[in-house]
Amino acid sequence: MSASQSAVRSRAEAVKVSRTFDWMILFTLFFVVLGGYHIHYMLTGGDWDFWTDWKDRRLWVTVAPIVSITFPAAVQACLWYRYRLPYGAVVCILGLLLGEWVNRYLNFWGWTYFPVNFVFPSQLVPGAIALDVILMLSGSMTLTAVAGGMAWGLLFYPGNWPVIAPLHVPVEYNGMMMTLADLQGYHYVRTGTPEYIRMVEKGTLRTFGKDVAPVSAFFSGFVSIIIYFLWHFFGRWFASTAFVEGENV
Amino acid sequence: MKLLKDKVAKLSFVALLAASSAAMLYTPTAAAHGEKSQAAFMRMRTIHWFDLNWSKEEVKVNDTMTVTGKFLVFAGWPETVDKPEVSFLNVGIPGPVFIRQGSWIGGQLVPRSVSLELGETYEFKVLLKARRPGDWHVHSMMNVQGGGPIIGPGKWTTITGSMKDFVNPVTTLTGETINLETYNLDNTYFWHALWYAIGLAWLAYWVRKPMFVPRSIAVESGKANTLITSTDRKVGVGFLVGTIAIVAMTMVSTNEKYPVTTPLQAGLLRGMKTFEMPAKTVTVKVEDATYRVPGRAMQMTLKITNNGDSAVRLGEFNTASVRFLDPAVLEDTTGYPDDLLAEEGLTVSDNSPLKPGQTRTVQVTASDAAWEVYRLADLIYDPDSRFAGLLFFFDENGKRQMITVDAPLIPVFI
Repeated sequence: MSASQSAVRSRAEAVKVSRTFDWMILFTLFFVVLGGYHIHYMLTGGDWDFWTDWKDRRLWVTVAPIVSITFPAAVQACLWYRYRLPYGAVVCILGLLLGEWVNRYLNFWGWTYFPVNFVFPSQLVPGAIALDVILMLSGSMTLTAVAGGMAWGLLFYPGNWPVIAPLHVPVEYNGMMMTLADLQGYHYVRTGTPEYIRMVEKGTLRTFGKDVAPVSAFFSGFVSIIIYFLWHFFGRWFASTAFVEGENV
Repeated sequence: MKLLKDKVAKLSFVALLAASSAAMLYTPTAAAHGEKSQAAFMRMRTIHWFDLNWSKEEVKVNDTMTVTGKFLVFAGWPETVDKPEVSFLNVGIPGPVFIRQGSWIGGQLVPRSVSLELGETYEFKVLLKARRPGDWHVHSMMNVQGGGPIIGPGKWTTITGSMKDFVNPVTTLTGETINLETYNLDNTYFWHALWYAIGLAWLAYWVRKPMFVPRSIAVESGKANTLITSTDRKVGVGFLVGTIAIVAMTMVSTNEKYPVTTPLQAGLLRGMKTFEMPAKTVTVKVEDATYRVPGRAMQMTLKITNNGDSAVRLGEFNTASVRFLDPAVLEDTTGYPDDLLAEEGLTVSDNSPLKPGQTRTVQVTASDAAWEVYRLADLIYDPDSRFAGLLFFFDENGKRQMITVDAPLIPVFI
């Protein structure tokens, strides 16, 4: 076979090779993103995602969306510019959540015996679907950054509320009031995570009374817009192909 | 030559396999918490733990035990460690092998961080409920913001039974009694599974069609706009509307199901009740102090004055949780951990009763292998080579008084 000959001999064979190629790329993409995104999220979201007694109305709501919109923005840009495929955010989140669940179940529970109801990860799928659909409908990275980034921030807290609310039920404990999440943090001893490390309920949103979560979510959405812009450039750069002249090689 | 190369290659491969197998199969249990690695000056000059008691050495799953005692927040706190203005009373155990059912300083529950005062003594208690069977080293511990964990003495405790039997019942303010060990678990699995399935459905919609090669060719040839069909848009709108609807409806239904929820509780507890130690009638001046490296012994020259009305004798020197006792004066009956107890480790050149009004200069030697085993000898390599500790004097009636010492330490190498 010479270099100018095709590797396939029929259209059916070409389709088969193409589909095989699809699955290979998707498989690789999924696990590469899982690894990279997981490390990134553990380093930046860290304890806010690890423990229920960090999942508060202010900082968790603010920090988690901001640090998690990064990879979805980059992968969306790559898949959209090169292939018009609008599932970059969802594939990232599915990878991240699989990695997180493996980590929480095998390490946090299987290795160190923290109960899973104390260490489950945050839910990010609703925001990812919003990001992907907005990109597909608009075809615009700018609109996706603005509308999608805001949706990403706004959907985070309500998307997690069905799982978090039961842990915010109050309990009286030896003369003090705590939530069940606080009690989990107190009961299940973390030698290296003393109480003062917790960054929860800190801030200056004093005039909003008990309704600070929506304000935090809006702020998170605004910053997510900026982070989306930044990271979508990483995706575009990663997806670009640079050809070099022969004599310059 | 080739034969030799082949043999080397084979042997290398076998060695690699053996090393890998050894690394995988030999996994000894981590037996303690690295307390010996903590800088000696941290253990000698920050929190002094004393009068510790572990209520049980063996406990069944679901049964409780306590760790009680006192700690002195040392007045000569080192400059290199942040002051204990934000601290947390912890226990050093390998993860949640016990749950901490309660912890108190001066009788006040301390689930949150506390502010401690230099030079004050506090009484503490930690109530632990056994959860995971095994032999565990249970330490008292104080986390200090900017200072790190300051670990106290540890004692081996055995938990028997099965972790499957462990329960953690809690009654909420809404009147419901739950098992915190498994509470909300099914709900968590359900929502994560549901959203994962929805995400997979979105992905499945796209991966059922040819993806990378044909779409890349289409985009490169200027036909990108043809790749998103009207059906795709309708499906996308369906997913978006469905997602928002599910989020909104579950938000409402969750609020109906849990009408009473409160924010996480946080804050600093100040004004902790201190423990009043008996009045001091003995004064001690450290004339000099040396550490003799080859002999693993620390020697102090102390000028002791008895201002009380009863003769006293020096019975114990306690530093970094290691207790050096003069057996003629004091014997331990509390079951203090053997490795931290030098029962005959304290020698005083003249430990006859020091009468009221009398002053005496004595040579005090604290010697034991613990200096090396607990790496206290490394103090001589610290940037601020000082030692500190507690001296316990006993009068004729057995009454005890505690005196702190804090002075430079000169190493002797020959």
